[in-house]
Amino acid sequence: MKHSGCAINKERHFSCEDCNGNVSGGFDASSSQIVLCQNNIRNQAHMNRVVTHELIHAFDHCRAHVNWFTSVRHLACSEVRAANLSGDCSLVNEIFRLHFGLKRHHQTCVRDRAILSILAVRNISREMAEKAVDEVFESCFNDHEPFGRIPHSQTYARYAHRDFQNRDRYYSNI
Amino acid sequence: MADSGSWRPPRPCETYHAEWKLCRSARHFLHHYYVHGERPACEQWLRDLASCRDWEERRSAEAQRSLCESERARVQAARKHTLVWALRQSPPADWHLPVPQEKDK
Repeated sequence: MKHSGCAINKERHFSCEDCNGNVSGGFDASSSQIVLCQNNIRNQAHMNRVVTHELIHAFDHCRAHVNWFTSVRHLACSEVRAANLSGDCSLVNEIFRLHFGLKRHHQTCVRDRAILSILAVRNISREMAEKAVDEVFESCFNDHEPFGRIPHSQTYARYAHRDFQNRDRYYSNI
Repeated sequence: MADSGSWRPPRPCETYHAEWKLCRSARHFLHHYYVHGERPACEQWLRDLASCRDWEERRSAEAQRSLCESERARVQAARKHTLVWALRQSPPADWHLPVPQEKDK
């Protein structure tokens, strides 16, 4: 985030609030703030995942002209990325949700959770949400910025950070 | 690509080794199959490791060429999809400004 010009200040960019329904968090682009739903976040692991998810939205807001409020495609893209890269759709989390599947199930989960996230914040039909997700899926599922890979665990995240620290050497020698 | 005099492998050789080991691990097989529905392909990491070591030992021009080609292919593969949105030239102007007044807490 800092490298992209959006250094995070905990007091400025995070807000803990009580939320309606079972929403865990959100990114408010109009105030550049990540909202954490203190009444719905269950434990540290859940918190880690929610923070990661919302930081991906914040990262997209920082690096791109995302039309959060006027483009369902743009919203869909960021939700696909957040579901893909935050651990939302890990095998373990899906099993806890009683969603059983192995071969390519991650992609099914990402699609379904992106649709749910859109419907939670936009008053549109399920068909419109599905259409937007399907249109952008190929591009956005394969956009792994800033990690360069899907960070399945701490090891992958460490390797991604190592690559980030090595970026100057990398790009000057290829 | 930097001129031959100052060139060095894009990643340290230990990194190629670590990536190859991770790619070949059972956990990565599971992750990859869960995401892509097929087994991962790890051979290129091993080829790159061999090239890296070859360059370190013999300053092989062929090793340098092979590594550059391999990494450029990785970059190309990561960039092949057209982005849905336009990238910014600079971060949002209000990122560091105080929270707007109407967001009352």
